[in-house]
Amino acid sequence: MRRASQDPDPSSTSTPWLFDESARPRTRLGRVLWVIAMALAAALLLVAWLPVEAADTSAQPAEGPYFHVKSDDPSIDALPLKGTTVEVRIAGVIADVTVTQHYRNEGQRPIEARYVFPGSTKSAVHAMQVRLGERVITAQIREKQKARLEFETAKREGKTAALLEQERPNVFSMNVANILPGDDVQVELHYTELIAPDEGRYGFVFPTVVGPRYHRPSTAGGSSTFPATAHLPQGVASNTAFDLRLELAAPLPVSEVRSPSHAIEVSGEGTQRVQVELKREGMRDNRDFILDYRLAGEQTATGLMLHRDPDGGENFFVALVEPPKAIAPAQINPRDYIFVVDVSGSMHGYPLDTAKTLLRHLIGGLRPTDTFNVMLFAGSNRVLHETSVPATQVNIERAIATIDREGGGGGTELVPALRRVAALPKAADVSRTVIVVTDGYVTVENEVFRLIRRNLGEANVFAFGIGSSVNRHLIEGIARAGQGEPFVVTKPDQAAAQAERLRRMIEAPVLTQLRARFEGLDIYDVIPQQLPDVLGGRPVVIRGKWRDHGGAAPQGRLVLEGRTASGDYQAVVEAPVSDESAVALKHLWARERIAQLSDEEALVGGESQREPITALGLQYGLLTQYTSFIAVDERVRADQPAVAVNQPLPLPQGVSNLAVGAEVPSTPEPAAWLAILVVLGFVAAASLRRPARGALWWPPRRAA
Amino acid sequence: MAAAITLVRSPLAAVTACRPVLVPPLGWLALQALALWPHGRWIAQRLRDGSDDPLGLAALAVLAVLVLRLAPRLRLQPVLPWLGASIGFTLAATAALVSLPPLVAALLAALAMACALAAWLPADVPRTPLAGLLVLALPLVASLQFYAGFPLRAVTAQLSAWGLQAVGIDAARSGASMTVSGQLVIVDAPCSGVQMAWLAYFCACAVAAIGGARDGRFLTRLPGVGLLVLAGNVVRNTVLVALEARPQGLAPWAHEAIGLAALAAVCAAVVALMKAPRRAARLPEIAR
Repeated sequence: MRRASQDPDPSSTSTPWLFDESARPRTRLGRVLWVIAMALAAALLLVAWLPVEAADTSAQPAEGPYFHVKSDDPSIDALPLKGTTVEVRIAGVIADVTVTQHYRNEGQRPIEARYVFPGSTKSAVHAMQVRLGERVITAQIREKQKARLEFETAKREGKTAALLEQERPNVFSMNVANILPGDDVQVELHYTELIAPDEGRYGFVFPTVVGPRYHRPSTAGGSSTFPATAHLPQGVASNTAFDLRLELAAPLPVSEVRSPSHAIEVSGEGTQRVQVELKREGMRDNRDFILDYRLAGEQTATGLMLHRDPDGGENFFVALVEPPKAIAPAQINPRDYIFVVDVSGSMHGYPLDTAKTLLRHLIGGLRPTDTFNVMLFAGSNRVLHETSVPATQVNIERAIATIDREGGGGGTELVPALRRVAALPKAADVSRTVIVVTDGYVTVENEVFRLIRRNLGEANVFAFGIGSSVNRHLIEGIARAGQGEPFVVTKPDQAAAQAERLRRMIEAPVLTQLRARFEGLDIYDVIPQQLPDVLGGRPVVIRGKWRDHGGAAPQGRLVLEGRTASGDYQAVVEAPVSDESAVALKHLWARERIAQLSDEEALVGGESQREPITALGLQYGLLTQYTSFIAVDERVRADQPAVAVNQPLPLPQGVSNLAVGAEVPSTPEPAAWLAILVVLGFVAAASLRRPARGALWWPPRRAA
Repeated sequence: MAAAITLVRSPLAAVTACRPVLVPPLGWLALQALALWPHGRWIAQRLRDGSDDPLGLAALAVLAVLVLRLAPRLRLQPVLPWLGASIGFTLAATAALVSLPPLVAALLAALAMACALAAWLPADVPRTPLAGLLVLALPLVASLQFYAGFPLRAVTAQLSAWGLQAVGIDAARSGASMTVSGQLVIVDAPCSGVQMAWLAYFCACAVAAIGGARDGRFLTRLPGVGLLVLAGNVVRNTVLVALEARPQGLAPWAHEAIGLAALAAVCAAVVALMKAPRRAARLPEIAR
């Protein structure tokens, strides 16, 4: 009030003001209201001038994994995959698997469901059917581009269509277009795979989820392609029901049926027919389903299987020969070990804890005469030492302490890491073993295989897949390219046993200089043409075709010869009666041939084997990287464009949000409009202050 | 209407005292602004396409209010040296359109406008705060962020790391990122303090202009504003980093509140730094 009384008297001013002096607020309340009005005006001005946001239509599509954002449009069913049911029938060493994906549109608009899902690395997908209400549409195998074209045409025409494509040998994508509101669509896939025993135990794996793959977009120098996958955050369950039933028919009673991954109910154990079902406990579709079992008396169902085509076409065989028991050699030569450890974001938490336990066993078990080095890689890489150091207790403890400090974060640049490993100096008289420890969540599998074949040819490369849903294609491919063996460690308590298994393999290869000879059988197109050394307890597997020269059952035998630590080795397997129902052998041979051609293609790069792979896919009706399954309903059903919906995937068990790229906290300044209001408040307060001479706000009073 | 030429005592004075009474001072300023329209168009385009924050509008608005408020007191005859400088800057700004980056050309245009304004201002009115507001009206923030952003972020991160270490928190800087108690916290572009710097200088110019601070006083205290901004941003960043690094993180509203509190503290200090000494009590005597 005192200030108001000292203000110049407006009536005494004779200056012609643009703002009439009488309009100036006279009371403190008036000034406060005036300031508020000015602030509001400033705020409105700022809101009107907020930076323009880029339109969604101009945004680049995602090229890597991303978090699913729930649509706020209630007319779109954003989660169309309601359930997946798996039926497995294992007869001897061949598994027939039927996967049924159940889609239902509970929204009000037609949708196109896109779903990226995993498969076994050994699966030969040979059939697909679509059930639409009462009708069944059988999918056809087509060249990939042609199938895609047919699918797009059908989608445009308003027909319901399903397209199954292979992204990787163990990753597939399903597109189901024009699922109308209320539609119930069931897509059935059929695949077969060979179940080979390892050290007497059989293992069946059904992956349920694709882990978020670290992917460098093509715009940032990446060369591979991979579908962008939507993921739910850590701990969020999918809305998709998952069920699996397995029937086992074995030539001998089945024992020790167990699953390290899921709670199961087993019936018929101890007999030749066993049924396995999943218990309804917690999330079941966020990790690989793994089942182990043995046959009675530690025996394995190995031998030679023949398939004769009743129509006079091609005949196929598969031979599985159990290797002898490994014998520890009297003298063990020192080796150089390089441990390449993935410490990227996807390894953060439980996977890295498992890897640390494994490395404690692996590094801790080295002999003092060995040398070793450790490379840690994520977005970049670093080695503990410039050259390998002796495996002394001090060096081992230092390495383990360094690894223990890692928390996991960043990208997964595996190729530069392996390139650096190849450049690490090595003593000429010492054999090197490279051990890669990773979850395999990358999309550069072919580049990795090529690099290993070309640059790490002198070293054996072993790969340890860590986690509940490992990229087994990468792990198995690294081992194959590096003449090593793949391992998968899902839990820390498996680490010691797997480390011991690796030690045994490296110290004492079971079989070397292997040769196979068929006597009395006219065989051709044999895979593999050169048998690799047998390092562990896996059987030797030979696939091929045989010519039927008429007459009764083929007479002949397979002779396998090689060397063990104790001397020469020979195994003889007599040919059994051929089986006309064992059609799976045809698919298994074609699948292996395609894998072989894919390996050659990966070595050369590009699509050098496109033609032979396409021909094999079309001839044997198999899903490959160049052939797809397409099913089109002939009825036009949709009269408006379908909305594309990406079915989100749960994060694999134990994998944190960092695998997708969880938000890193930062400290941004407050919002501009709030900040400017604060500052304008100070400016306004200053304008109410008694003026100095020369002040612009209150003009000096003129003399009367 | 008065004659276009007033009576003068010498031929030179006749030229210099040429008073365009038909065009008032505000009109002359408007014509000057019109002469610089290519720069104004570029500024408007930068604001429209969202390539810069529209903070400059606030500076323009305050400047406009001040000039309109001052309009009755503008000189009847302009100060010729200022007018000459204005012409020089206008020519330079026009030439810069051809060869220099648009922002540099716009800066010359802002100086031309500031000189033109200075030519018409009464002798007792400070000129530099108004010139400051004109410079701040340019789309500066994005360019400042580009050129000064990283050094500011690195310095802020380092000072924050030292501050946290001083109170016993495990903190380290790597580039413009910090690791605090094992948690990565990035000090990215929005954390650099460039926005706070703009706002603080805006506050300084506006308060100095309104309060009537002398040019010399204003200019000598201007570096102090920079130091206040750096200190304020470091304190803001340190508090936020310490809170963000906790397992539970920090709620967005708390984040905003801390940022606004730090800004308010800096502005209060700027006002205290810039306010002119109280001489208002003498005004009645002067007026008398």
